[in-house]
Amino acid sequence: MNQTQQILFDEPGPRARRRIRIATVIGAVALVGALIAAVQQFASHGELAWSRWEPFTTWPIWRYLLNGLWATLKAAAATAVLSGAFGLLLALGRLSPNRPLRWLAGAYVEIFRTVPALLLIYVTLFALPAYGLNFPLFWKLVVPLVVSNAAAFAEIFRAGIQALDRGQTEAGLAVGLRRSQVMRLVVLPQALLQLAPSLVSQLVGLLKDTSLGFVVSYTELLYSGQVLSTYTQLLIQTFLVVSLIYLAVNASLSKFARVLQARNGRLTGRGRVAAGPDAPTPATSAPSTSATSTSTASSPDPTSPSTSPDPTSPSSTEGSTAR
Amino acid sequence: MSILHNNLTRRRSLALAAGALAVALGATACGGDSTSAPALPGKPAAGGDSVQAVIDAAPVATDAEIPAGSTMEAIRKRGELIIGGSLDAPLLAQQNPVSGQIEGFDADLAKLLAKYIIGKPEVKTVTIGTQTREAILQAKSVDAVFQTYTITPQRATQVAFAGPYLTSGLAVAVRKDETSIKSAKDLNGKTVIVGANTPAVTALPQVAPDAKQVAFATDPQAIQALLQNRGDAYVQDLTLLASGAKSNPGMKVVGEPFTSEPYGIGINREDAQFKEFVNNWLKKIQADGTWAKVWKATLGSVVEGDAPTPPVIGSVEGS
Amino acid sequence: MDALTAHLSVLGHGLVTTVQLTVVTTIGAMLLGIVVATLRISPVPLLRTIGTLYVEVLQNLPLLALLVLFVFALPQIGIQFPLFTSAAIVIAAYQGAYLAEAIRAGINTVGKGQAEAARAIGLTFSQSLRYVILPQGLRAVIQPIGNICIALLMNTSLAAAVGVVELTQAANNVNLVEAQPILIFTGAGLAYMLLALIIGQFTGLLERRLAIVR
Repeated sequence: MNQTQQILFDEPGPRARRRIRIATVIGAVALVGALIAAVQQFASHGELAWSRWEPFTTWPIWRYLLNGLWATLKAAAATAVLSGAFGLLLALGRLSPNRPLRWLAGAYVEIFRTVPALLLIYVTLFALPAYGLNFPLFWKLVVPLVVSNAAAFAEIFRAGIQALDRGQTEAGLAVGLRRSQVMRLVVLPQALLQLAPSLVSQLVGLLKDTSLGFVVSYTELLYSGQVLSTYTQLLIQTFLVVSLIYLAVNASLSKFARVLQARNGRLTGRGRVAAGPDAPTPATSAPSTSATSTSTASSPDPTSPSTSPDPTSPSSTEGSTAR
Repeated sequence: MSILHNNLTRRRSLALAAGALAVALGATACGGDSTSAPALPGKPAAGGDSVQAVIDAAPVATDAEIPAGSTMEAIRKRGELIIGGSLDAPLLAQQNPVSGQIEGFDADLAKLLAKYIIGKPEVKTVTIGTQTREAILQAKSVDAVFQTYTITPQRATQVAFAGPYLTSGLAVAVRKDETSIKSAKDLNGKTVIVGANTPAVTALPQVAPDAKQVAFATDPQAIQALLQNRGDAYVQDLTLLASGAKSNPGMKVVGEPFTSEPYGIGINREDAQFKEFVNNWLKKIQADGTWAKVWKATLGSVVEGDAPTPPVIGSVEGS
Repeated sequence: MDALTAHLSVLGHGLVTTVQLTVVTTIGAMLLGIVVATLRISPVPLLRTIGTLYVEVLQNLPLLALLVLFVFALPQIGIQFPLFTSAAIVIAAYQGAYLAEAIRAGINTVGKGQAEAARAIGLTFSQSLRYVILPQGLRAVIQPIGNICIALLMNTSLAAAVGVVELTQAANNVNLVEAQPILIFTGAGLAYMLLALIIGQFTGLLERRLAIVR
């Protein structure tokens, strides 16, 4: 908890501590009670019957689900690499001095940030085959996700680049580097380092986006769960198991993002100690996607000077290091 | 610590993590052979061994029937039949997660056709959405479509149909204690659950224009929705409903099927030779009882009685 | 164009559903976000844990899985809502988690002097949050909140998975009949862009009026 948060309440004295303890115990008991009641209700519908859960103790079912997970990871990796690269190009385009290029890149980003990924998948699925563009299954999912996520990545990169101290660019130019060299040798390496947590968050969102595979019948994890549920007729159990797998994978990715965030803070040495390793910044709390949305959501904004002053640090020259 | 050092350590740990993940996944993906299928509650048998016996005994085309330069010859040379189908249609084309094979009436017919042409039941299924079947057949991305593809004159202008190979119909299912709905006509003004992208979506307004439709993606979801009172009735293909009613005592099928859905095998419109070939094959397996045996092993496992008489080839407008 | 005009009622209905869903879930998500953000910084450890768990679980699960579980599994525990309400609750809860994080970030930007001053004049925890910290904190993160709202708009398209006919599903249904995907889906896309534009403009307006210049 950062200093602002810690100041909001006094260190609890003995009476307050007692009160807190009582409240905690009561609260915990109430919660556990509610949980037990829920589980009992669940069981009364026969959902906890061993016969319903037994298939999930067998290896073939797990192998099927893990194959689905592998397919998810493949799709996510392909999407991440392609949309990341494309997004970077778009961001550079938006920042270039060339007006038509800026306009084109800007138009692309504005359009594809505000169209749901699901709609793009429908277009790829229904509209394109009529024009002869019938992609293999994998690409039917990946192409629309790339188109969508590239816009999100573009915004993240642009914000990160713009958030970097202007002094770096000026110094680079002063030393005699060309604009492109400044970008390549000075700005990007630093910006990318700063953005690593945001990028990983976007990756989590992207992974969840792949759950749209069921629309194109690509057997990623969620669709595999769907096929499994029609095979076993066990809707609830299957989805619970699938959700747990997603939770495990995404939670580890998010943890990785937080680790990166913490290391960034230590690495740059600047940034407010107050923020602490656990504090979110609008940059990393990008809800981007969740399963579809792409619209970047909050990621780039707090750090983009073009919209509002950087809220995460008192002085705007500090860039997005307040973590 | 220099920035460079930190960079390297981070990159190294990243690589290590990625490597570990890859190894773990590789191990899980490659390892383990299939044990026997787990006992699954309420799941109707999809044939398995008996279908295998039928396929083993199935006819194979003679060389005379496969002229040079025809689609059949191309398929034979390729060594596998590529079809458009589904993975999650119980009794018709359902992927078995244990074996990875697709089981069901549609899937088995495709295997029989493949055996007829190639000599082995080698089938590659490409999952396609119901809205793209015409476009995919026109583009020749698949050889045929086996996906309970209803023959309509409108579709016949874009694709060719071999068959019909099965006639089914849409029926109504309600909760066990429902008494007011006895047939499709009683559905006016009610909330009706349908499967998304199924024929029910367009057929229901014709018989009950005031019914409110609620669509769900899969059959189990729709059944759950019915049992949870999210709709008054569920309209779906009769055999699927029968299968559902067998595993879920809380629902029952009422009335007779109110539509007649002739299912055909989708084929590229220009390929009259292939269509004739497939029709001849259909006639053959109908005559020698293979069709009936496959029916009994799949759809017949939830419906009482013997296999129905197969529909007459070419009897439906558009086929 | 005929394809669109002939089915204007279906598409219009879908659009209305999308707007309704967006408005309802935005309000819900904002409320939830503030509550959860408060939970995460409260003095009671149990509340902090609940807040953290909420955010962790909801941010790491796909919205589709949440929708299916809420609509089909929850009734087995005895809790069942109509489909629209269910979709609204789930999407609000989901985006609420992201909003909570954004609001917490906003709270972090408020200088520690503000908190000290609030305590100095005798305000309690909830009072200082309500009168001093949150008003400033929220104003600092208007843009990220606006972006989360746009993400919310995009996510309403998933409500179709549980039977709610919103704009994307309506477009899909019309396409089933008309088979003119480019026209219909472009139309739907334009509608989404328009809605997102409105949200963006509104956010910009709020920002100009309220943003704190540091």
